[in-house]
Amino acid sequence: MSQIGVSPRGAERFWVIVLLLPTLLGLALGAFGSIAATIGISLFQWDLLSPAKWVGFDNYLALPENRNFLKALGNTALFSAIYVPATLSISLVVAVLLNQRIRGVSLFRLIYFIPVVTSPTAVGLVWTWIYSKDKGVLNAIITTFGGDPVHWLGSDMALYSVVIVNVWGAIGEGMIIFLGGLQAIPRDVYEAATIDGASRFQQFLAVTIPMLLPSIFFQAVLCTIHAFQAFDYVYILTQTGNGGSSLPMLVFNIYREGFNYFRMGNASAQSVVLAVIVLSLTLIYSRLNKRWGQG
Amino acid sequence: MKALLSATAFTALALSATASFAETNLTYMMWGDPPEIAVWEAIVAEFEAANPDIKVKVEVSDWDSYWDKLRVTTVGGNPPDVFAMDAPLYPDWQSRGSLLDLSPYLAAAPETLNGVYPGPLAAYRLSAGTFGLPRDFQTIVLFYNKAMFDAAGVAYPDDSWTLDDLRAAAKKLTIDKDGDGQTDQWGLGTELWDMEPMWGPVLYSYGGAPISADFKKTTLGDAPATDAWKFLADFRLNDGSVMSQEDLESYGSDGFLAGVAAMTFSGHWVVPAYSELAFEWDVAPFPKGPAGRATLVNSAGIVVSATTPNPDAAWKFVQFVISEKGQSKLTELGFAIPVIDKVANSPVFLEQKARGTHKVFLDALAYAHTKPSFRGYEEWSAAVGDTLALVWTGEMSIDDALAEIVPNADAALANNQ
Repeated sequence: MSQIGVSPRGAERFWVIVLLLPTLLGLALGAFGSIAATIGISLFQWDLLSPAKWVGFDNYLALPENRNFLKALGNTALFSAIYVPATLSISLVVAVLLNQRIRGVSLFRLIYFIPVVTSPTAVGLVWTWIYSKDKGVLNAIITTFGGDPVHWLGSDMALYSVVIVNVWGAIGEGMIIFLGGLQAIPRDVYEAATIDGASRFQQFLAVTIPMLLPSIFFQAVLCTIHAFQAFDYVYILTQTGNGGSSLPMLVFNIYREGFNYFRMGNASAQSVVLAVIVLSLTLIYSRLNKRWGQG
Repeated sequence: MKALLSATAFTALALSATASFAETNLTYMMWGDPPEIAVWEAIVAEFEAANPDIKVKVEVSDWDSYWDKLRVTTVGGNPPDVFAMDAPLYPDWQSRGSLLDLSPYLAAAPETLNGVYPGPLAAYRLSAGTFGLPRDFQTIVLFYNKAMFDAAGVAYPDDSWTLDDLRAAAKKLTIDKDGDGQTDQWGLGTELWDMEPMWGPVLYSYGGAPISADFKKTTLGDAPATDAWKFLADFRLNDGSVMSQEDLESYGSDGFLAGVAAMTFSGHWVVPAYSELAFEWDVAPFPKGPAGRATLVNSAGIVVSATTPNPDAAWKFVQFVISEKGQSKLTELGFAIPVIDKVANSPVFLEQKARGTHKVFLDALAYAHTKPSFRGYEEWSAAVGDTLALVWTGEMSIDDALAEIVPNADAALANNQ
């Protein structure tokens, strides 16, 4: 990447540091401090209330035998495997459609973006009414047409039902990123392609996709992070009476292990594993991006 | 500038004035509903009148945020001086050193425990000491909607009822009023995820038990209990007379209160809300099972933080709460049964303003089992409840569920040894 902007000199340099300091301090204490603390706590056995006990890597070694952790890890992996490609492809299609010169295009963009800025708790509750087995809107439609009611949030369907809500909630964000990328593609490339006789679909494959690859990789990273952090919609849709979840995700499991079962060390070890997974996936994306995205 | 100076002087004066008064401030935190605040403030007012040098601040949160708040303030080193405790969670909090041992105070003032019911008290007596006292307690009984029984021509439940009578009546009381194929009124609407309202008592009345007496082994998959599970699963899944969790949630988690369930199992805590209901209702003992009648008793306790700077003042407040005066005031709330037998057997409890036959709750003590209470209770009950939820929705057979629950629950016990 080429350098953009001017480099500060002399006294300016001092003020740059002064002005950046609040943000840097916030980052250092807030983000890096928490990361360091999490890694530290993961090496202890600590119930929050009594003194912590050093256990080295025991918390990590116990993870492969922890049924709840394995179940949550499996759920999260499955969830991500469907969520990431679905969100990427649907938001790309929406962005391409909303990049046309059509009437009311801003209104459509607004509508697709609304889920991103609405409260997941409120929207999650609305979705529970849609999915409800006996009184839900969806099953009412199905039974009107003579179908059998589906237990949308039951153990067989919950994963797919939850993915649908999460994808729906994330399309707006992907759309904005892709719209930005699309508008950066020069018109003359398309004109040249048209002169060469390429159809709209061929243009999409040969011009749009390659030119958009950096945005796609960027969005893939964001989506993956979101997928592994999935909590709000999933919990609201699948919570059980006792504070459990019929589809426990990693973040939910970490919360429960730490705050409900008094095992902070264990919960921290799971958080570190989660962070390492996300970090590795991000590194893979970044490699792929270097090879194909920036030519 | 002059004004500022005099203001500072005034503040300093005011500060030194309060300091010389030597007032002790206590915070008492509890879970509960907003109406409970007023009654607790009345209790506090009486306590403060008797102890003018102590001021108590009452903080009430709902059940979920209460525990989060308690953990966060305790970890942050600023816990409430006195707080409410749920008996099943008491060993967890005690074993982590966050509660003050009240034994020395009790030794100095043994009369504090005069007339306190031994059952609820026993839960707080540990080999390490007594780190809390029961504040009030709950027994589970059967609530029924008289209007719905009259309309269906079913006789009201009484102490002759068995679990089979319950099931038969529930079926008759389940009605599709407008004939659209959807149930509009259920026979029974009760929580099935926690053992307390229904499955615990049913297990005991079949001669089973959820967990061994030493809390080392999960026994809910053992022989007589398995019959109880079969009864519960058939009742819930085959008759269509028991509300599902989803149905309950769509009626604000309480089908009886919403007027769509003819019966429910609950404790005295619902009585204030049910007293506002437009229809007539009453209570009956828990129906008998093959091995006799059983129910559960659980207490809310009052405990003192191990790190309070004012343990003596805190103890005085605890003492007042479980005194005859404090208990009489608390009973006016109508939420619970007083822990002092004298108050429980007095008109204060038996003839309180809130509706219902209050003696039924008290009589239940004779056949009630104490709700299990041990370190790791929350994890154990999650291991049980998570899988059990799949049985109640019909997604898993009870046999498969038990095969999964027992090892998971035993693993949870092992995690907390």
